[in-house]
Amino acid sequence: MSDFNSDNPQLSQNSELQPNYWRSFEELHNDPNVLEARHHEFKDGATDDFDPLNLSSISRRKFLALLGASAALAGTACTDYRDKGEIVPYNIKPEEITVGKPNYYASTCTACANSCGILIKTREGRPIKVDGNPDHPVNKGKICAKGQANILNLYDPERLKKPLKKTGLNFNEVSWKEVDNDVLAALTFAGSKEIAIVCNSITSPTTFKVIEDFKIKFPSTKVYSYNFFNDSVKNAAWQKTFDSGKYPLVKWNEANVILSLESDFLGVDGNKLENSRLFAEGRDVDTKTFNRLYCVDSTLTITGNNADYRLRLRPEAQFEFVMSLMNELSSKGAFNFSVNTSGYSLSGFASKYNLKKKVLDQLVNDLATNKGKAIIDAGRSLAENVHIAVNLLNEALGNSEMFRNDSAVNTFVENSSVQEIESLIQKMNSGNVAVVIHFDSNPVYHLASDFGYKDALSKVGLVVSLSERENETTHLSKYVLPINHNFESWGDAKTRTGVISLQQPVIAPLNDTRQKEAILLTWIAGKTDAFNETLYHEYLMKNWEASIYPKLNSKLDFKRFWFGALHDGIVLTNESPSVSRSINPGTTSLLSQPSSSVKGYTVVIKENYNISDGSFSHNGWMQELPHPVSKIAWDNYAAVSEKTCKDLGVKNNDVIEIKVGGRKLSLPVFMQAGTADEVIVIESGFGRTNSGTVANGVGFNSNLLLSKTNNYSPWIYSGVSISKTGDTYKLASSQEHHAFDDAKTQDLHKTRHIIQEGTVAGYLKNPDLIKEKHEGELISVYDPQPYNGLKWGMSIDLNKCTGCGDCVAACNVENNIPVVGKDQVLVSREMQWLRIDRYYSGTVDEPSVSVQPMLCQHCDQAPCENVCPVVATNHSPDGLNQMVYNRCVGTRYCSNNCPYKVRRFNFFNFRDHFRDSYQENPLLSLMHNPEVTVRSRGVMEKCTFCVQRIAEARADATYEKRTLKGSDVTTACQDSCGSNAIHFGDINDKESEFYKYRNHELGYYVLEELNIHPNVTYIAKLRNTYPEEA
Amino acid sequence: MNIDYSQQAPVVAGRLTLAQIEELVAKPMDTKPNKKFFIALSISGSLLIIGAVFLAFSFYYGTGLWGNNQPVGWAFPIVNFVFWVGIGHAGTLISAILFLLRQKWRTGIARFAEAMTIFAVMCAGIFPVIHTGRPWLAGYLMPYPNQHGLWVNFTSPLVWDVFAVSTYFTVSFVFWYVGLIPDFATMRDRTSSKIKKTIYSVFSLGWRHSNRHWTHYEKAYMLLAGFATPLVLSVHTIVSFDFAVSILPGWHTTIFPPYFVAGAIFSGFAMVVTVLVFVRKIFDLEHIITIDHLEKMNKIILATGMMVGYAYAMEFFIAWYSGVPSEQFVFINRAFGPYAWAYWIMVSCNVIFPQLFWFKKIRRTVPFMMVIVILVNVGMWFERFVITITSTSRDFLPSSWGYYKPTIFDIGILLGSFGLFFTLVILFTKSLPVVSISEIKAVADGAQPTIHGGEHHA
Repeated sequence: MSDFNSDNPQLSQNSELQPNYWRSFEELHNDPNVLEARHHEFKDGATDDFDPLNLSSISRRKFLALLGASAALAGTACTDYRDKGEIVPYNIKPEEITVGKPNYYASTCTACANSCGILIKTREGRPIKVDGNPDHPVNKGKICAKGQANILNLYDPERLKKPLKKTGLNFNEVSWKEVDNDVLAALTFAGSKEIAIVCNSITSPTTFKVIEDFKIKFPSTKVYSYNFFNDSVKNAAWQKTFDSGKYPLVKWNEANVILSLESDFLGVDGNKLENSRLFAEGRDVDTKTFNRLYCVDSTLTITGNNADYRLRLRPEAQFEFVMSLMNELSSKGAFNFSVNTSGYSLSGFASKYNLKKKVLDQLVNDLATNKGKAIIDAGRSLAENVHIAVNLLNEALGNSEMFRNDSAVNTFVENSSVQEIESLIQKMNSGNVAVVIHFDSNPVYHLASDFGYKDALSKVGLVVSLSERENETTHLSKYVLPINHNFESWGDAKTRTGVISLQQPVIAPLNDTRQKEAILLTWIAGKTDAFNETLYHEYLMKNWEASIYPKLNSKLDFKRFWFGALHDGIVLTNESPSVSRSINPGTTSLLSQPSSSVKGYTVVIKENYNISDGSFSHNGWMQELPHPVSKIAWDNYAAVSEKTCKDLGVKNNDVIEIKVGGRKLSLPVFMQAGTADEVIVIESGFGRTNSGTVANGVGFNSNLLLSKTNNYSPWIYSGVSISKTGDTYKLASSQEHHAFDDAKTQDLHKTRHIIQEGTVAGYLKNPDLIKEKHEGELISVYDPQPYNGLKWGMSIDLNKCTGCGDCVAACNVENNIPVVGKDQVLVSREMQWLRIDRYYSGTVDEPSVSVQPMLCQHCDQAPCENVCPVVATNHSPDGLNQMVYNRCVGTRYCSNNCPYKVRRFNFFNFRDHFRDSYQENPLLSLMHNPEVTVRSRGVMEKCTFCVQRIAEARADATYEKRTLKGSDVTTACQDSCGSNAIHFGDINDKESEFYKYRNHELGYYVLEELNIHPNVTYIAKLRNTYPEEA
Repeated sequence: MNIDYSQQAPVVAGRLTLAQIEELVAKPMDTKPNKKFFIALSISGSLLIIGAVFLAFSFYYGTGLWGNNQPVGWAFPIVNFVFWVGIGHAGTLISAILFLLRQKWRTGIARFAEAMTIFAVMCAGIFPVIHTGRPWLAGYLMPYPNQHGLWVNFTSPLVWDVFAVSTYFTVSFVFWYVGLIPDFATMRDRTSSKIKKTIYSVFSLGWRHSNRHWTHYEKAYMLLAGFATPLVLSVHTIVSFDFAVSILPGWHTTIFPPYFVAGAIFSGFAMVVTVLVFVRKIFDLEHIITIDHLEKMNKIILATGMMVGYAYAMEFFIAWYSGVPSEQFVFINRAFGPYAWAYWIMVSCNVIFPQLFWFKKIRRTVPFMMVIVILVNVGMWFERFVITITSTSRDFLPSSWGYYKPTIFDIGILLGSFGLFFTLVILFTKSLPVVSISEIKAVADGAQPTIHGGEHHA
């Protein structure tokens, strides 16, 4: 070492002070040139220093550089740089958020009174998707279309942003302080005059307590509650039959025979998610258990679509039907019962209403042989005596076994009776009401016009409406107070015996809105500055600590209990349900009603599947979701039978005027197969005014036909007169309507094997009844691509699918599907990646309905792929048919060549096209799933099998150093399916649950004969018809 | 009947001298355009502008302005494309195939037919580009090396189309231009205008009518004719593959290539007759484009029309014979379904009315043939409409069926394509010799030595 150093004097000098790093041998050996060069950053001549005195001698190279630089500077300084907004990175990582990773929060959906438990998916703090909370005992991880589309309500650009005050005809934005002062003054000086709170059902115990507190503070307060559709008649009948309780929940899964009378329990009656799940459990191809569903109703519903036998009957005849059934059963000796059914005869009834005698005989036989394992369920719109008769019949057949012990609680505030609302209006008219507070309700739209609510409002001192958005009622209010959305709110909900679900906000209020309970709490406090962001949150916690927590006997302290409960979103209380019931002996006398024959036209107001009573009519996704039966979007219509069409001399799209009493409504006719003659079914929630860009002017307001008095039930009116107006109005449908008697098009879905069906008896006899129809292996011009690794596939069990369309809504949210509007639905340009096909067979009066979710089949030999000139659609090694949006030129050849027509083309920039670029609002872009590209105009798109979820699962698997498994991924449609009809997974994984469905003996591919090897297996529907018919 | 079949009717009637021929053909270029010319030009120009405006709207807002919908991905633009490509068939057929077959009567109409081919292919070429969702990316259909390593899909008939149509256009254009060279030289020699002289000089490529020039020219022309001949058959064959290669019932048909070629010749000849009837009248070319020529073309129309009719019948037979229900449904649906009106327009215009050409009187009477050839043009447009639209509007799954209705934009752009075509035709009649001067001179009476010593024997 020393020798070496002595050879290098300079190094030896420094060797003690610093280590020797050398870049070249020259440097190591102290070449003087190199040592000198070390002091200059650049090599000589590579640059020259900027010296103004020496400018004339500037090098050519330098001159050109200066010239270029100045040109560049001049150029960039003068460009019109578009400010793309402030982009701020997370300098400090927020707690809980990892960029690119979603967070899930348990909460409660308040889209309807069923208050299901949900998990809200947020990305970087924005809620983007809603799934069901798997821990919730009612909806078990599923959520319906409305719950899915609720995300659009949050970001709706037309939500109220500030409190509004009406001056003259205009609304001006005012401060909360001004509102609070004015309202407080009015409340304080109300004196003996009434303060009316008008609300819908209250499912939250804490909200109920707030209202109770409000009543204590302002003693003249009265609470009026209404629900447009409710079980009041059903419950009143139960009360009369058993002297206690409410109509209980039904064990749909255990019933062998279900008779549904005008009941749409798979659609809008009760909690459809729970009902569908339980019903589908009773139609399982694995356990080979099948219930038999009889439907007797006035028009086709989701329930009717799934019926094994369906009879059409006008609603007023239901009582006679139940009595005749009772008579037949008791005469057959099925039971001994002291109901006088003389004068009723089933065979007489059958011939009177032209019902199939054979089906009725089978029904009687089924009910008699399945005593205790059958259930008869009457729809909520039927009259009280039908419900009483049904209760008695169920009891007589021992079917009370089929009722569950727990019951649904849909409100803490009983619905106000007609008399109560009349008295409110009387007081309003006589000037005895000081303040009306619309607590997130819309009575101007919902209440029958003959109540005169609208006019009475003008005689009230102060009308305050708490609402998320404008509607008919806010329009007539002095103050309109914007309230928080579901996802911005705290709360709780009790909808079941022993179950309380918790609601927590997942985003700070987007606008200057307040939680509706906090507004009342501020007024209770009596000070405008009492409000703060945590006002209701603290109240909620205190209420729980005081009244709920102590009853739970939890071993945890309250804080820990509370956070645990918030995390789970659900608290189970050990509330014991009341079990005993006995028939009120006086009930039978209620049934002594002579059978009368009903004639003339009857109008039935039915809840719309998508927009309900109008609470979702501003939601484009819901408006565009095709009706599960008629496939019509963006409108309601008068559904009538073919015979009634002929009687009236009208055809589809002709406008008729319906008159009930003095009330009138004009709307277009739609010939709905399976509708009872002389019945007109109209769905609710349309014909909105002052309710925003999307809702206004869509459809026709069925509420105009309502009356406070009725001779049957609040939703059914007879004695209707109908006249043709001569106008026409185009209804937009997602599916063409074909004539039933056209030999060319009739039953094509069956002859082409698109829908393959069998019967339960046939299947039990021959399990291969579907398999033997297969064509066997066909020869292909292409060599088959081997897929040895993971390969994705899907199976759809048509026995379980009810055709409700929840999966379509889920797909819309997950994949950023735009709303296209009625004009585009009219020219069949819907963008939904997944659609529910509906096929009729049989006669127009008694059609048999088949439904089939149709989506990209991800064919192995995809016909779309080889015709794309630019390879924009191609195949992945794991069997996905992919779309490369950037590469797509938009020739639409792929769509032409797709035999399933599941590809969707962006004919416009639909976000810009719909309602004057309503969807281009920057607020709505917050809603988009950041993992899914928002497609531009001119690009083809289609179902991806939720490839973003596959990518995420693969990334997770790689990170965790394990192989990706088929069960790691679920698709959005699968997640939402209430009846668990959809399964997704790895086709090659023989161990998986999915493998069983993929290779099921009832499985088939649609259009198998094309030999394109689709990867969606449909499991053939089995109809549980009588074995003799098999 | 005592007809001497050993003698051919003269190709050029009226015993014109060579100078007269030259004079006659060159007249439109030597004279100033008259009022009629401007009226014609303004009509076709207006159509062109209508088309351009509607097209601009479509570019700005998207293809959604058209009637295309979810089952019917292809509609008017593709119908128009196939229609115009079909029109473009007559020119090359007349100039190349008839040239090789030594059909002297072709000389009077060849130049014009070739020009129409080029203009029709230009019209056709526009549609595949504009019909796409993002026409600004149409370049993706060309195979060009790029750092993304992206290539076109050679299994897609649309890529074949790109090559077939562009090759056809290039070859037709070169063939046409080569034929024009001696005429350019003639025009150069005739004109006294300095500007015209410069232009003609440039395009005549130094042609001096020398013996060597003629020898080379004849060789080159012969070779190009040989080269163009297979293209006549290939272009429409490949266009038909757009449909035939798909799996859609009604499209997936092996008869399509010959059927499309026959249809193309049929419609091409009909369009040539339509235009020539006017041209020979307006420019006094009745002696050069004689009624004999028109009759010969009408005979070809009759023959190809029957081929097309045979194909219609055979489609039905094969649909039945195949035993494929969805195939059978498509054809029954064509004839009796919602688009039956279009189907029967097609059948009557293409099969029934051309049968009148069995009558010599009708074949040789201008007003009669005018009506029939226009009907054939309409019928052939509807043939493409029926093929393209009825098949997609009702395919495999009844749930996805949808009726297609064109919008004002579809119709506007179709009119625009006619505007473009006729504008180009009108400009052509005034700027280039519509009949090949040199070729006509070669077939004029006494131009060639004969065994009869050049005597006329009519």
